[in-house]
Amino acid sequence: MAKKLHVENLTISFHTDAGKVQAVRGINFDLEQGETLAIVGESGSGKSVTSKAILGILAGNAIVEDGEIIYDGKDLLKIDEEDFHKIRGDKIAMIFQDPMSSLNPIVKIGRQLTEAMILKGKARQKESRTAFNSYLKKIKEKMIEAIAAGDSATASALAEKCANFNKFEYKHLELEGAYNVAHDAATTAVAEIEDMLFEIEKNSFKEPVFRVKRVCKLANDSIETYVVNARAEELKAAAAAAVAAVGAESKAVEYTTVSASLETILEILKEALDYTAPNFFALGYYVTFSGQEIPAMSVEELNVYMRKYLDDNFMLDFIADAKKAIVYSANVTCDNKKAAIACLESYRHVFERENLNKKECLDALHVISKAVKATIDPLAITKDSMVYTFPVGLNTEIEKYFNGLVKNVKEQKRFDKQTAKHEKLTARGKEPDWQVIAASLVDFDVVKGNMLRQIDTLIAHYNEAIEALATRDFDAEAVAVIDYLKACASGYVKKVTKSMAKERAIKLMEEVGIAEPRKRFNQYPFEFSGGMRQRIVIAIALAADPDILICDEPTTALDVTIQSQILELINNLKRERNLSVIFITHDLGVVANMADRIAVMYAGKIVEYGTSADVFYESAHPYTWALLSSMPDLDTNEKLDAIPGTPPNMIYPPVGDAFAARNKYAMKIDFERQPPMFKISDTHYAATWLLHPDAPKVDPPKVITDRIARMKAKREGK
Amino acid sequence: MENNQEVLLKVENLCQYFGFTKAVDDVSFDVKKGEVFGLVGESGCGKTTTGRSIIKLYDITSGNIYFKGTRIGAGTRSYQVAIRDAKEKMKTASPEECAELKAFIADQKKQIKRAKYDQKNCDKEYARKQTEAVKEKYLPLIDAANGADKAAIKAEYKNELRKAKKERLVTKIQMIFQDPSASLDPRMTVKEIISEGLVIKGERDKKVLEEKVYEMLELVGLVREHAGRYQHEFSGGQRQRIGIARSVIMQPEMIIADEPVSALDVSIQAQVINLLNDLRRELGLTILFIAHDLSVVKYFSDRIGVMYFGKMVELASSDELFKNPLHPYTRSLLSAIPLPDPEYEKNRQRIVYNPLAEHDYSVDKPTMREVSPGHFVMCNDAEYQKYLEILK
Repeated sequence: MAKKLHVENLTISFHTDAGKVQAVRGINFDLEQGETLAIVGESGSGKSVTSKAILGILAGNAIVEDGEIIYDGKDLLKIDEEDFHKIRGDKIAMIFQDPMSSLNPIVKIGRQLTEAMILKGKARQKESRTAFNSYLKKIKEKMIEAIAAGDSATASALAEKCANFNKFEYKHLELEGAYNVAHDAATTAVAEIEDMLFEIEKNSFKEPVFRVKRVCKLANDSIETYVVNARAEELKAAAAAAVAAVGAESKAVEYTTVSASLETILEILKEALDYTAPNFFALGYYVTFSGQEIPAMSVEELNVYMRKYLDDNFMLDFIADAKKAIVYSANVTCDNKKAAIACLESYRHVFERENLNKKECLDALHVISKAVKATIDPLAITKDSMVYTFPVGLNTEIEKYFNGLVKNVKEQKRFDKQTAKHEKLTARGKEPDWQVIAASLVDFDVVKGNMLRQIDTLIAHYNEAIEALATRDFDAEAVAVIDYLKACASGYVKKVTKSMAKERAIKLMEEVGIAEPRKRFNQYPFEFSGGMRQRIVIAIALAADPDILICDEPTTALDVTIQSQILELINNLKRERNLSVIFITHDLGVVANMADRIAVMYAGKIVEYGTSADVFYESAHPYTWALLSSMPDLDTNEKLDAIPGTPPNMIYPPVGDAFAARNKYAMKIDFERQPPMFKISDTHYAATWLLHPDAPKVDPPKVITDRIARMKAKREGK
Repeated sequence: MENNQEVLLKVENLCQYFGFTKAVDDVSFDVKKGEVFGLVGESGCGKTTTGRSIIKLYDITSGNIYFKGTRIGAGTRSYQVAIRDAKEKMKTASPEECAELKAFIADQKKQIKRAKYDQKNCDKEYARKQTEAVKEKYLPLIDAANGADKAAIKAEYKNELRKAKKERLVTKIQMIFQDPSASLDPRMTVKEIISEGLVIKGERDKKVLEEKVYEMLELVGLVREHAGRYQHEFSGGQRQRIGIARSVIMQPEMIIADEPVSALDVSIQAQVINLLNDLRRELGLTILFIAHDLSVVKYFSDRIGVMYFGKMVELASSDELFKNPLHPYTRSLLSAIPLPDPEYEKNRQRIVYNPLAEHDYSVDKPTMREVSPGHFVMCNDAEYQKYLEILK
């Protein structure tokens, strides 16, 4: 499975009048392709803040103190708003807790569903156009470097090849664009006609003249060489007949002629929609360069013929050249990587010193960044996120170190002063209503360790890449490059029109289980029930076809039956689209069904992390125990094991384990030092001193073990 | 739960229509003294409306509500419908029948009058009774006493009389609302919020009020210092405790808890449920518990009524309901409960309830029938036989 999202050492605070609230305190997790990660915790534990940080919608008073969120080669905490526009909603979407407040009450559902599609459609067109042009330029340069080797004749031949590619690609797009428009007109017409025929049958045909005219126009629009060719005349005649008849016929004769004509149109269009699409890519080349008319043959034959023509005259040659360029580029970057390793190793000692020298460090960073940048393969389609984020990451650590030199002194001074004042007051027998805020000092060893670790992991990563070079399949890569160019190009011919967006929205509404989507499309949010509203919100989130879906308490406001439906829906969508889901909730019962992995959060930290079986059957942290035993199930009779007290005030986070004050099993050390993450198995971690080898052995509460045994018996009994 | 217990609240054929919407349609149930009666169902099924109708936040459309044997709510629609039907019949009826129907109509009209009177004046009646009781208690005392004693007793008598005049039967039923922050006034201190009910009832002595407020705060697990604060300074669980204190201070005999834990975190939920359980034991409260979280309802309630689209479809003791759910809707509801066990959850099959496919009520209309002692199901004859088979 591929890693989709990587969160490391995320630390977020909020400025408030009362002081700095530490909402998230250094959490780490990964999200893999197609898995559901549940984040469970009480309100105020920082789970929603984490999800908002991923989406870049933190409140204005939030300060990201530390950490990184790596997605698609970018650190989401460091990119600017302009770049975030391309990710938010498009790649990472979110479902909010209260569907009513996340929908606009005075805008129809349909408009809200299609709004983003239309806006994003335009942006995407622009984006793919730049991607196509820049990639073609890059591959041209590399080809010339690899093959021409200074020979200007070969170079210009190669340049012409690329120019030709560009030329026929444009022709291809023109053809495909026209096809797409006609195809969409046909799809819309089919849906509309089916509705109208149904209404005629039920005697509830409304606005006949307008709608028939509209649909006949759509039918005429769909006449295009490859959508409707053979029966174009017939279609035109049927459309004309329908338009002529609709004015004359009334309800009394029940639109016999009209429905007959409509049925003919429907039949023709349906037949047309079943055709395979021609290979416009090859066709574009033929039309541009052969100078001949397109031969008359069936689409299948045409596709074979065109493909062969393209391969023989251009493509095989071009792929071979592209392969040479890729091999060349890979070799160059491999050499660069070796150089970068040497560079990293030679500068490593700078960061190993007892006391770092600022100038030396920055110089080293400058040289290293240059060397690392050179290792980026311009022809690689998938970005190597580690290389991209390395310079920024190292820079952050260096800044933290040198800022810490100044800040630590100040902070220590403040802390000493405050402690002295506090002690003075207490000595005088007063009880001050404020507490001493613990000194937040930069730990230089940790920062230095981070720098060295970053360098070492990068070196290891390079070594891996160099070893893998021998086994890379360059033929496949060359083909992938052509496919990538094709995908980019077709991206910018895909216009999203209003009617297309409507069709897609209706399909989405069907997908999320809304009955009669065509009727519902024109309703307002208040006309929907709570569950239906949440479905709409899910549909909006899915409209952009995101990679990652963040669900922030999506079912908390809903009742059991609807909750169970929504959970099933999210699960199904996840399976169908291979989505990665982050599911945030305070109710452990809900996630048993959903989560592949669970992270339990308390007071801004992840206290337990494991697969759902780990957390439910072998939970190790007292907080998880408390959560599990405080909820009643159907067989609970005894008094509930409520967690006493409330979560700590995060302006003054406790020195030791944050849960210690509410913990039945707390030991002395819990109040003094924060527990590290103890590893229980490869997938299961927990931060509690109980797991320390010297700690007394404590069994989970009887309520939980009993429940596990009871559920097991129940399962096996079935 | 024994059957011979005193019935505290009796709801008879309660209907609550809002225009054409039948929010609650012909619902009947009894709540016995000291028990917790759970009402479950999906949102919009009328459980909250039932609760609010009982406490007279709405004027009910038809049906009767008896509290401690006194009719506190009555609707007139059923009588009106009966009169209309009778008038319709009179058009075709023979003279003898006509006379009978006339008498019937007169009777119904009397019923309407009585219902309207009860609906309006039940509290007045109760206050009158209370004042009489006070008079009976104090008048002999005043006569017997003399000198300074007499003046003191007279003052006390006046005070008691004033309070008795403001007694309302309905205040013996108190409500706890779903959203603790929305139901507390942000501009009142906790003390003001909790004591407001007593002030309205006529308590003027600040010391008494203060003492009562402190007592209540300690009862619900808060401390005296909290009395001077505002609601925004509290966490969700604490706010809900304030809401509980506010209703308990009125010394109610019954509490209607409308989703009291739905808006709270799981860990806080447990605290509030434990608190309600303790209060119920200490004060002998009767609770009508409205919720959609079935695990909580099962844990907390003695008997449970399941509502679907304004109708009560099944009513049984909580163990019986979960052991032998009969109505298809109940079964669908039970199949939707998530449990904290991943293996079990993966195989859980949700049953979908489609009323049109499940029942054929075209000929035989369903009624509430008792299939086993204390277990009622909404069904028609054929279904009744089927359910009896299942129970065997």
